[in-house]
Amino acid sequence: MENEEKLLTGEESLKIITDMINKTKVNISQGSFHLLFWGWLIFFCSLGEYDFASPWLVWLLVIPGVFVSLIYGFVKGRKEVVFTYATSIYIWTWMAFLFASIVLFIVVWENMQFVAPLILTLAAMASFISGIIIKFRPLIIGAITFWIFALVAHFAGPSIAPLAVPAAMLTGYLMPGYILKYRKNHGTI
Amino acid sequence: MAQFKDLDPVLHSQLRLALISLLIGVETAEFTYLQEKTGATAGNLSIQITKLKEAGYIEVTKKFRNNYPLTICRITPQGRQKFTEYVKALKEYLNPDQNHKS
Repeated sequence: MENEEKLLTGEESLKIITDMINKTKVNISQGSFHLLFWGWLIFFCSLGEYDFASPWLVWLLVIPGVFVSLIYGFVKGRKEVVFTYATSIYIWTWMAFLFASIVLFIVVWENMQFVAPLILTLAAMASFISGIIIKFRPLIIGAITFWIFALVAHFAGPSIAPLAVPAAMLTGYLMPGYILKYRKNHGTI
Repeated sequence: MAQFKDLDPVLHSQLRLALISLLIGVETAEFTYLQEKTGATAGNLSIQITKLKEAGYIEVTKKFRNNYPLTICRITPQGRQKFTEYVKALKEYLNPDQNHKS
Protein backbone atom coordinates (compact mmCIF):
# COMPACT_ATOMS: atom_id res chain seq x y z
CA MET A 1 0.00 0.00 0.00
CA GLU A 2 2.38 2.64 -1.23
CA ASN A 3 0.26 4.91 -3.38
CA GLU A 4 -1.84 6.30 -0.55
CA GLU A 5 -3.47 9.07 -2.58
CA LYS A 6 -4.56 6.81 -5.44
CA LEU A 7 -8.21 7.44 -6.30
CA LEU A 8 -10.19 4.39 -5.26
CA THR A 9 -13.19 2.93 -7.04
CA GLY A 10 -16.18 1.90 -4.92
CA GLU A 11 -15.36 -1.77 -5.43
CA GLU A 12 -11.75 -1.22 -4.34
CA SER A 13 -12.92 0.57 -1.19
CA LEU A 14 -15.27 -2.27 -0.35
CA LYS A 15 -12.51 -4.83 -0.90
CA ILE A 16 -10.10 -2.96 1.40
CA ILE A 17 -12.73 -2.77 4.16
CA THR A 18 -13.60 -6.47 3.84
CA ASP A 19 -9.97 -7.61 3.70
CA MET A 20 -8.92 -5.58 6.72
CA ILE A 21 -11.90 -6.53 8.89
CA ASN A 22 -11.18 -10.21 8.10
CA LYS A 23 -7.61 -9.74 9.34
CA THR A 24 -8.66 -8.73 12.85
CA LYS A 25 -9.15 -12.16 14.36
CA VAL A 26 -9.38 -12.82 18.08
CA ASN A 27 -6.00 -13.45 19.65
CA ILE A 28 -5.96 -16.77 21.50
CA SER A 29 -2.23 -17.09 22.08
CA GLN A 30 -2.73 -17.54 25.85
CA GLY A 31 -5.75 -19.82 25.64
CA SER A 32 -4.05 -23.20 25.82
CA PHE A 33 -1.85 -22.24 28.80
CA HIS A 34 -4.83 -21.46 31.04
CA LEU A 35 -6.81 -24.52 29.94
CA LEU A 36 -3.86 -26.87 30.55
CA PHE A 37 -2.76 -25.18 33.79
CA TRP A 38 -6.25 -25.31 35.34
CA GLY A 39 -7.03 -28.68 33.84
CA TRP A 40 -4.03 -30.34 35.49
CA LEU A 41 -4.31 -28.36 38.75
CA ILE A 42 -7.96 -29.25 39.34
CA PHE A 43 -7.39 -32.80 38.09
CA PHE A 44 -4.70 -33.44 40.72
CA CYS A 45 -6.56 -31.54 43.45
CA SER A 46 -9.69 -33.61 42.89
CA LEU A 47 -7.76 -36.90 42.91
CA GLY A 48 -5.55 -35.66 45.75
CA GLU A 49 -8.60 -35.43 48.01
CA TYR A 50 -8.30 -39.17 48.61
CA ASP A 51 -4.83 -38.89 50.18
CA PHE A 52 -5.59 -36.28 52.83
CA ALA A 53 -7.16 -36.50 56.26
CA SER A 54 -8.74 -33.11 55.54
CA PRO A 55 -9.65 -33.41 51.84
CA TRP A 56 -10.44 -29.72 51.38
CA LEU A 57 -6.82 -28.78 52.24
CA VAL A 58 -5.61 -29.78 48.79
CA TRP A 59 -7.97 -27.22 47.26
CA LEU A 60 -5.94 -24.42 48.86
CA LEU A 61 -3.61 -24.89 45.86
CA VAL A 62 -6.27 -23.08 43.86
CA ILE A 63 -5.38 -19.77 45.58
CA PRO A 64 -1.76 -19.58 44.29
CA GLY A 65 -3.14 -20.97 41.02
CA VAL A 66 -5.32 -17.88 40.61
CA PHE A 67 -2.26 -15.64 41.10
CA VAL A 68 -0.17 -17.66 38.62
CA SER A 69 -2.93 -17.36 36.03
CA LEU A 70 -3.46 -13.63 36.62
CA ILE A 71 0.27 -12.82 36.53
CA TYR A 72 0.83 -14.93 33.41
CA GLY A 73 -2.15 -13.27 31.70
CA PHE A 74 -0.99 -9.78 32.68
CA VAL A 75 2.64 -10.29 31.59
CA LYS A 76 1.65 -11.91 28.28
CA GLY A 77 -1.13 -9.39 27.70
CA ARG A 78 1.30 -6.49 27.93
CA LYS A 79 3.26 -7.95 25.02
CA GLU A 80 0.25 -8.24 22.70
CA VAL A 81 0.44 -5.92 19.70
CA VAL A 82 -3.32 -5.82 19.26
CA PHE A 83 -6.27 -6.02 21.62
CA THR A 84 -9.55 -7.01 19.97
CA TYR A 85 -13.04 -6.64 21.44
CA ALA A 86 -13.40 -10.42 21.29
CA THR A 87 -10.19 -10.82 23.34
CA SER A 88 -11.61 -8.38 25.87
CA ILE A 89 -14.89 -10.34 26.14
CA TYR A 90 -12.89 -13.59 26.44
CA ILE A 91 -10.81 -12.23 29.35
CA TRP A 92 -13.76 -10.68 31.19
CA THR A 93 -15.83 -13.85 30.82
CA TRP A 94 -13.16 -15.71 32.80
CA MET A 95 -12.79 -12.85 35.29
CA ALA A 96 -16.57 -13.02 35.82
CA PHE A 97 -16.18 -16.78 36.41
CA LEU A 98 -13.49 -16.04 39.01
CA PHE A 99 -15.68 -13.45 40.83
CA ALA A 100 -18.73 -15.76 40.71
CA SER A 101 -16.65 -18.66 42.07
CA ILE A 102 -15.41 -16.58 45.02
CA VAL A 103 -18.99 -15.61 45.89
CA LEU A 104 -20.09 -19.23 45.46
CA PHE A 105 -17.40 -20.54 47.83
CA ILE A 106 -18.45 -18.00 50.47
CA VAL A 107 -22.13 -18.92 50.10
CA VAL A 108 -21.66 -22.72 50.24
CA TRP A 109 -18.79 -22.68 52.77
CA GLU A 110 -20.78 -24.79 55.26
CA ASN A 111 -22.01 -27.22 52.59
CA MET A 112 -18.95 -27.85 50.45
CA GLN A 113 -20.38 -31.13 49.13
CA PHE A 114 -22.56 -29.04 46.80
CA VAL A 115 -19.73 -26.96 45.39
CA ALA A 116 -18.51 -29.32 42.61
CA PRO A 117 -21.67 -29.32 40.44
CA LEU A 118 -22.11 -25.58 40.91
CA ILE A 119 -18.50 -24.73 39.96
CA LEU A 120 -18.68 -27.08 36.97
CA THR A 121 -21.88 -25.35 35.83
CA LEU A 122 -20.24 -21.92 36.05
CA ALA A 123 -17.04 -23.12 34.35
CA ALA A 124 -19.14 -24.66 31.58
CA MET A 125 -20.77 -21.30 30.90
CA ALA A 126 -17.38 -19.53 30.66
CA SER A 127 -15.97 -22.32 28.45
CA PHE A 128 -19.04 -22.32 26.21
CA ILE A 129 -18.88 -18.54 25.65
CA SER A 130 -15.09 -18.73 25.08
CA GLY A 131 -15.55 -21.52 22.55
CA ILE A 132 -18.12 -19.45 20.66
CA ILE A 133 -15.88 -16.34 20.71
CA ILE A 134 -12.81 -18.11 19.33
CA LYS A 135 -14.91 -20.43 17.12
CA PHE A 136 -13.32 -23.49 18.69
CA ARG A 137 -15.64 -26.48 18.78
CA PRO A 138 -13.65 -28.72 21.23
CA LEU A 139 -14.09 -26.06 23.92
CA ILE A 140 -17.84 -25.87 23.24
CA ILE A 141 -18.14 -29.66 23.42
CA GLY A 142 -16.00 -29.62 26.58
CA ALA A 143 -18.41 -27.14 28.13
CA ILE A 144 -21.34 -29.44 27.37
CA THR A 145 -19.48 -32.32 29.08
CA PHE A 146 -19.03 -30.04 32.12
CA TRP A 147 -22.81 -29.69 32.39
CA ILE A 148 -23.22 -33.45 32.07
CA PHE A 149 -20.57 -34.11 34.75
CA ALA A 150 -22.20 -31.48 36.98
CA LEU A 151 -25.37 -33.61 36.92
CA VAL A 152 -23.26 -36.74 37.55
CA ALA A 153 -21.53 -35.04 40.50
CA HIS A 154 -24.94 -34.17 41.97
CA PHE A 155 -26.98 -37.31 41.31
CA ALA A 156 -24.50 -40.20 41.16
CA GLY A 157 -23.76 -42.18 44.27
CA PRO A 158 -20.84 -41.37 46.58
CA SER A 159 -18.60 -43.93 44.86
CA ILE A 160 -18.94 -42.33 41.40
CA ALA A 161 -19.63 -38.64 42.07
CA PRO A 162 -16.05 -37.73 43.21
CA LEU A 163 -14.73 -38.90 39.85
CA ALA A 164 -16.94 -36.44 37.97
CA VAL A 165 -14.56 -33.49 38.50
CA PRO A 166 -11.34 -35.17 37.24
CA ALA A 167 -13.28 -36.66 34.33
CA ALA A 168 -14.68 -33.22 33.51
CA MET A 169 -11.16 -31.75 33.56
CA LEU A 170 -10.06 -34.30 30.95
CA THR A 171 -12.91 -33.55 28.57
CA GLY A 172 -13.51 -29.86 29.31
CA TYR A 173 -10.04 -28.36 29.79
CA LEU A 174 -7.23 -30.80 28.96
CA MET A 175 -8.44 -32.20 25.64
CA PRO A 176 -9.46 -28.78 24.24
CA GLY A 177 -6.24 -27.31 25.69
CA TYR A 178 -3.99 -29.81 23.90
CA ILE A 179 -5.96 -29.53 20.64
CA LEU A 180 -5.74 -25.73 20.83
CA LYS A 181 -1.99 -25.91 21.52
CA TYR A 182 -1.47 -28.32 18.63
CA ARG A 183 -3.48 -26.20 16.19
CA LYS A 184 -1.76 -23.01 17.28
CA ASN A 185 1.69 -24.58 16.86
CA HIS A 186 0.69 -25.78 13.39
CA GLY A 187 -1.00 -22.51 12.46
CA THR A 188 -4.35 -24.15 11.81
CA ILE A 189 -6.49 -21.90 14.02
CA MET B 1 -27.40 8.52 -6.99
CA ALA B 2 -24.64 9.50 -4.60
CA GLN B 3 -21.56 10.84 -6.31
CA PHE B 4 -17.98 9.81 -5.56
CA LYS B 5 -17.27 13.26 -4.16
CA ASP B 6 -19.71 12.48 -1.32
CA LEU B 7 -17.24 9.98 0.09
CA ASP B 8 -15.18 11.37 2.98
CA PRO B 9 -11.81 12.41 1.47
CA VAL B 10 -10.01 11.58 4.71
CA LEU B 11 -11.15 7.96 4.45
CA HIS B 12 -11.24 7.67 0.68
CA SER B 13 -7.58 6.78 0.46
CA GLN B 14 -6.20 3.27 0.24
CA LEU B 15 -4.03 3.19 3.36
CA ARG B 16 -6.17 5.42 5.59
CA LEU B 17 -9.26 3.35 4.78
CA ALA B 18 -7.32 0.16 5.55
CA LEU B 19 -6.17 1.59 8.89
CA ILE B 20 -9.66 2.63 9.97
CA SER B 21 -11.07 -0.73 8.81
CA LEU B 22 -8.51 -2.50 11.01
CA LEU B 23 -9.05 -0.22 14.00
CA ILE B 24 -12.86 -0.51 13.85
CA GLY B 25 -12.54 -4.17 14.89
CA VAL B 26 -10.06 -3.80 17.74
CA GLU B 27 -9.77 -1.84 20.96
CA THR B 28 -6.14 -0.89 20.41
CA ALA B 29 -3.44 -1.79 17.93
CA GLU B 30 0.29 -1.15 17.90
CA PHE B 31 2.11 0.45 14.97
CA THR B 32 3.89 -2.84 14.18
CA TYR B 33 0.57 -4.70 13.94
CA LEU B 34 -0.87 -2.06 11.58
CA GLN B 35 2.29 -2.19 9.47
CA GLU B 36 2.16 -5.99 9.25
CA LYS B 37 -1.52 -6.08 8.28
CA THR B 38 -1.41 -3.25 5.74
CA GLY B 39 2.02 -4.06 4.30
CA ALA B 40 2.85 -0.33 4.24
CA THR B 41 6.27 1.19 4.83
CA ALA B 42 6.89 2.73 8.25
CA GLY B 43 7.22 6.22 6.78
CA ASN B 44 4.02 6.08 4.78
CA LEU B 45 2.12 4.54 7.66
CA SER B 46 3.36 7.22 10.01
CA ILE B 47 2.18 9.99 7.63
CA GLN B 48 -1.31 8.48 7.26
CA ILE B 49 -1.65 7.89 11.03
CA THR B 50 -0.82 11.55 11.58
CA LYS B 51 -3.48 12.61 9.04
CA LEU B 52 -6.12 10.45 10.74
CA LYS B 53 -5.07 11.78 14.13
CA GLU B 54 -5.24 15.42 12.96
CA ALA B 55 -8.74 14.77 11.56
CA GLY B 56 -9.75 13.44 15.00
CA TYR B 57 -10.52 9.95 13.67
CA ILE B 58 -7.97 8.14 15.83
CA GLU B 59 -6.10 8.63 19.11
CA VAL B 60 -2.40 7.93 19.24
CA THR B 61 -0.61 7.07 22.48
CA LYS B 62 3.17 6.87 22.76
CA LYS B 63 4.63 4.51 25.36
CA PHE B 64 7.84 2.68 26.12
CA ARG B 65 8.26 -1.09 26.61
CA ASN B 66 11.70 -2.35 27.59
CA ASN B 67 13.17 0.98 26.43
CA TYR B 68 11.61 0.62 22.97
CA PRO B 69 9.06 3.22 21.87
CA LEU B 70 5.54 2.00 21.19
CA THR B 71 2.85 3.75 19.16
CA ILE B 72 -0.64 2.58 20.09
CA CYS B 73 -3.66 3.58 17.98
CA ARG B 74 -7.33 3.58 18.89
CA ILE B 75 -10.34 4.71 16.84
CA THR B 76 -12.30 7.65 18.33
CA PRO B 77 -16.12 7.92 18.46
CA GLN B 78 -15.83 10.51 15.67
CA GLY B 79 -13.75 8.09 13.59
CA ARG B 80 -16.32 5.34 14.16
CA GLN B 81 -19.12 7.72 13.10
CA LYS B 82 -17.25 8.83 9.96
CA PHE B 83 -16.50 5.22 9.02
CA THR B 84 -20.20 4.33 9.37
CA GLU B 85 -21.15 7.30 7.17
CA TYR B 86 -18.46 6.31 4.64
CA VAL B 87 -19.76 2.73 4.42
CA LYS B 88 -23.33 4.04 4.04
CA ALA B 89 -22.29 6.42 1.26
CA LEU B 90 -20.31 3.64 -0.41
CA LYS B 91 -23.33 1.35 -0.27
CA GLU B 92 -25.50 4.02 -1.89
CA TYR B 93 -22.87 4.57 -4.57
CA LEU B 94 -22.54 0.85 -5.34
CA ASN B 95 -26.27 0.07 -5.21
CA PRO B 96 -28.05 3.29 -6.24
CA ASP B 97 -31.24 1.56 -7.48
CA GLN B 98 -31.61 -0.61 -4.41
CA ASN B 99 -31.23 2.37 -2.08
CA HIS B 100 -33.75 4.44 -4.00
CA LYS B 101 -36.31 1.64 -3.72
CA SER B 102 -35.88 1.22 0.05
